[in-house]
Amino acid sequence: MIYQQLINGLMLGASYSLIAIGYTLIFGVLKLLYFAHGEVFMVGAFAGLFLVIYGGANIYVALAGAMIICALLGALAFYVSVRPVSKDHPLAPLISTIGLTIVLQNLAVYIFGGQQVAFPETIQQSLYTIGPITISFVQIFILAVAVALMLALWLFIEHTRMGRAIRATAENHETAALLGVDVNRVVLVTFMLGSGIAGIAGVLDGIKNSGISPFMGLGAAVKGLIVMLLGGLGNVPGAMVAGLLLGMIEILSAAYIGTTERDFFSFAILILILLYRPTGLFGTRTTE
Amino acid sequence: MLDWLMDGYTQSLLVFGGINVIAAYSFYVPYKTGQVSLGQAGFMAVGAYGSAILTQKFGVPFAVALLSGGLIAGVIGVVVGFPALRIKGIYLLLLTLGFSEIISVIALSWDYVGGAQGFRNISFNPFTLEYVIAIIVVLLFFFARLERSSLGRAMDSIHQDETAAEVMGIDVVRIKLLSFGLGAAIAGLAGALYAHQATYMDSTTFNIMLSVEILVFVVVGGGTTFWGPLLGAAVLSAIPELLRAMRDWLELVPVEWTDFYPANRIYDFLHDFLDFENAKRLIAYGIILIIMMIVRPDGLLTRDSLRRLRLPRWKARHA
Repeated sequence: MIYQQLINGLMLGASYSLIAIGYTLIFGVLKLLYFAHGEVFMVGAFAGLFLVIYGGANIYVALAGAMIICALLGALAFYVSVRPVSKDHPLAPLISTIGLTIVLQNLAVYIFGGQQVAFPETIQQSLYTIGPITISFVQIFILAVAVALMLALWLFIEHTRMGRAIRATAENHETAALLGVDVNRVVLVTFMLGSGIAGIAGVLDGIKNSGISPFMGLGAAVKGLIVMLLGGLGNVPGAMVAGLLLGMIEILSAAYIGTTERDFFSFAILILILLYRPTGLFGTRTTE
Repeated sequence: MLDWLMDGYTQSLLVFGGINVIAAYSFYVPYKTGQVSLGQAGFMAVGAYGSAILTQKFGVPFAVALLSGGLIAGVIGVVVGFPALRIKGIYLLLLTLGFSEIISVIALSWDYVGGAQGFRNISFNPFTLEYVIAIIVVLLFFFARLERSSLGRAMDSIHQDETAAEVMGIDVVRIKLLSFGLGAAIAGLAGALYAHQATYMDSTTFNIMLSVEILVFVVVGGGTTFWGPLLGAAVLSAIPELLRAMRDWLELVPVEWTDFYPANRIYDFLHDFLDFENAKRLIAYGIILIIMMIVRPDGLLTRDSLRRLRLPRWKARHA
């Protein structure tokens, strides 16, 4: 029983991690709260659904397609709601991205209706039993994709020129610009990268829950924010670990304490972290 | 009591619009010292549940319950305000958001207030509109005085530069706590009024999107002057109703008047445009928010635009 719950926690945590990575990347380079990220995740799920049903795509094509669509959406979000808005007014970018959130959510309601839509079965449903654990192929698939994605991202951030430019920009815009980094391009790439990952997370969520709705973005956004904070703002590996941790905590508290208390724990953790470790569990460069 | 003036539907529209105005002011007070809260819906929930428990379970009269709701929310506001002193920006946003979510989890799991079934059969208060108008008038009077008082100027200076304000001898801690608690108390009043107008609420009534909406009211109206929240909340609450009313007027136009070539096209276009269903209307709303923030990040009303209006009284005082 406990192993089963741990697997479930891992599954939930993996999707939290993927959303939080995008958040933390974007927060890292821009230092602003970008509200529309949860809706990008939702659009990713619907893009995957659309590709599978109308494009006849298999799951790999759907994942890649959702990633590309969301990366483009991220670029669009940057040019529409972040770039033109003055940074001198701290609330202005928050409001404009809230505006984008409302637009995307209701566009999805307008096109797909307000109800939950069933996600088509695209993966075989076989079950494997390893010792005390029963794990389905779907679960293995989701975990494998999530882990591979995180690994690839880590390698990208740590070992490529672009990754180094992202880290430099997160450290300090002016210094990075003086050292020859094209800051605007880096911010754009960061948006596309974070949004693409959120798109994949959306499709994975669709496979896991076998249903998606236009309103799935808000909850994901809030949990993503908690995970970002837990891992330390702008700290990518921190977000990965913190996501898994929060997923575990939620599943275990739901299983052994009660399902209504589940959210209580995540928000209580949020507040405790804010009060006692505002730099997150694993530390980060700066706090306000 | 205002029945001789308007029908019940108009009254309830005005009540909910007025509650939005009060909620916007609840955000404005802590914002005046630079504290941005995404938890005002949580304080509204405290006031709403607190006052509804008093009227329903203890038979307390509405006026007393209303004030107690505000008071309870204010006390909790000061309690939340203490940790809020230490943090800023995104951290404060998340702290207040987390507080608000915890309140909603408590409302969901506490069976005494209905739990998942929601709080039902709250007594309807027929005089809510009068209360709403009275509270808004008092708030406006209060802010008009505050603007020119030493406390108001101290709050502005904390907003601009906390360290400088402290160096100038301003008691930053006390003023920030006071403004956070006062904001929470105003939110509590708004929640109590809401509960006794809607007569039903559950754990999702006061959700994150409501807090976001309250924030939007103030930023769109203009957060640098106390007229901003009034304007933002009033305009944004009125727009959907105005569009609906315009469509209804359009339908009163006799068919013969528009039954020839260019007019019928124009009529159909206008009718389609105004016949917003919810999703389409919200898409337009979101686009307006984005454009607003690009064009006027300070909101519709700023101190400068007020000065440009050149109110005679101002001139006299400045002379």
